[in-house]
Amino acid sequence: MIEIKEMAFGYKRQKLFDGLDLFLEPGNIYGLLGKNGAGKTTLLKLICGLRFPQAGECRVMGYQPQNRAAGMLEDVCLISEELYVPPIAPALFERLYAPFYPRFDHGVFVEHLREFEIDASKKLSEMSYGQKKKFLLAFGLAARTRLLLLDEPTNGLDIPSKSQFRKALARSTTGDQLVLISTHQVRDMENLIDPIIILDEGKVIFQESMDEAAKRLSVSIEREQPTDAGVVFSDKTLGGYVVVRESAAGAENRVDLETLFNTVIASRERVRAIFGGGAAGKGA
Amino acid sequence: MAPAFNKVFKPRRFGQLLLRDLAGGYRSMLVAMAAVAGTVIMISALTVLGTKVAGSRTGAWSFHFNLYSNLLFLGGFIVTSLAFREARQNGNGIFYLTLPASSLEKFASKLLTTSVGYALGSVVFYTAVAAASEGINRLIFGFGNAFFNPFDTRVLEAIGYYLVAQSVFLLGSVWWRKTAFLKTWGSLMAVAFGVALVAWAALRIVFAQHFHGWGIDLSDIPGFSELSRQASLGYGPLVTIGRVLRIVFLAGTAPVCWFIGWLRLREIEV
Repeated sequence: MIEIKEMAFGYKRQKLFDGLDLFLEPGNIYGLLGKNGAGKTTLLKLICGLRFPQAGECRVMGYQPQNRAAGMLEDVCLISEELYVPPIAPALFERLYAPFYPRFDHGVFVEHLREFEIDASKKLSEMSYGQKKKFLLAFGLAARTRLLLLDEPTNGLDIPSKSQFRKALARSTTGDQLVLISTHQVRDMENLIDPIIILDEGKVIFQESMDEAAKRLSVSIEREQPTDAGVVFSDKTLGGYVVVRESAAGAENRVDLETLFNTVIASRERVRAIFGGGAAGKGA
Repeated sequence: MAPAFNKVFKPRRFGQLLLRDLAGGYRSMLVAMAAVAGTVIMISALTVLGTKVAGSRTGAWSFHFNLYSNLLFLGGFIVTSLAFREARQNGNGIFYLTLPASSLEKFASKLLTTSVGYALGSVVFYTAVAAASEGINRLIFGFGNAFFNPFDTRVLEAIGYYLVAQSVFLLGSVWWRKTAFLKTWGSLMAVAFGVALVAWAALRIVFAQHFHGWGIDLSDIPGFSELSRQASLGYGPLVTIGRVLRIVFLAGTAPVCWFIGWLRLREIEV
């Protein structure tokens, strides 16, 4: 659904991507992780045609996103971190905007609004940031676009809303949809996003499923700092050290997202070797 | 051809965009209309009061046409300059540019609402407000200004000129990120000054021997006096050239501005 080949992009004083490759298939909820300034939001903007590649190719559902063709846009929904809602009531919003999305489902929308406890009598512009976000998430999920791009979806949500969001997304996503979530809040996304894509220094340095990560890496808590050669990554934590090692063949482990991210960022080459070179982006 | 065009322009989607553009800004539109109505009623009453104080009982014949011209041109240019503001703002721009409609539909929707839509809307609105204000004047003072006639040829002519001039401000709206009205106005002034400067320089070079200080006297050019006489009577080659240039300018300005504006909208990145 998304094919990015040798794509380059940068701002005036900063080169962001240089030869970026990324291939994403429907039926997945991808997690897009990276340090601040790694280009996660920019990548989402490039995918939906809000920024234009300076070299290489970017194709979304066969379209070149920079053309912003209506046929592509009616199957793409981006919920950005910079929220905008017009000063109108939710019902009027639905009346004005739902017809643009051919697969919009009113029933699903109403259900999500109820689930997110959105006050339908209140004007959207008078809602809090979290309520606006929940409203737009409900609309985005009800639009049932084949590509759903979420930029920091849990920022600004209260604790119950985060859980409601996870449930709603897991329930609403269908096999022909691709969801790409850019986030720093990895704990909020645990058990939801899979596969994981990690961006760093203008490239995809990791693109694997959590299953694959659990097969190839093992995580343990040790009292002393390990010094043996088998250690891929270690980090001091409360009561000892989090230690990541290459897993024994066939062993199944549990790797949490935060540790995985820190391991990939700190030991890029080692991780690449463990994942057989494929960790630097499928197809790259 | 038809299916390909359908991809970039679907009447149903275009209609929905129009509805969105109108319904989305209806609150500010109502506030602006109320402010304009109040101002018109007040200025009209003050004018009649002034006339009465001066001892006359005849209202101004052109009062409403003059006021309407201000509403049409100044108001229309300001409204037009704000048309694409939403495409240039951060959150709002993301929302607008990813709205499932083609750039052609988005541009055409803004064009229709700010050109024909604004012109027709302002005529209907002003006719009603002028009628109300003159009704009030007649009730209070016993006389008033002439009623506003929306079918007056001057009104129709003004709308024609508005539709052409408005296209420049629509281009400015999509071109500039901020303060589009002032920047477009400034650009127009700069272009007018530049054209005048180039024309004067060309005149100075071509007719160098006819310049006397800063003044020019072309009467010694064979046939010029006759051409000048014909022009003053409204015929002859100079008048024809003037007419052709005017038609080309009036017919060409708007399509060129629309085309460049549409291209610019396609290029906006946020």
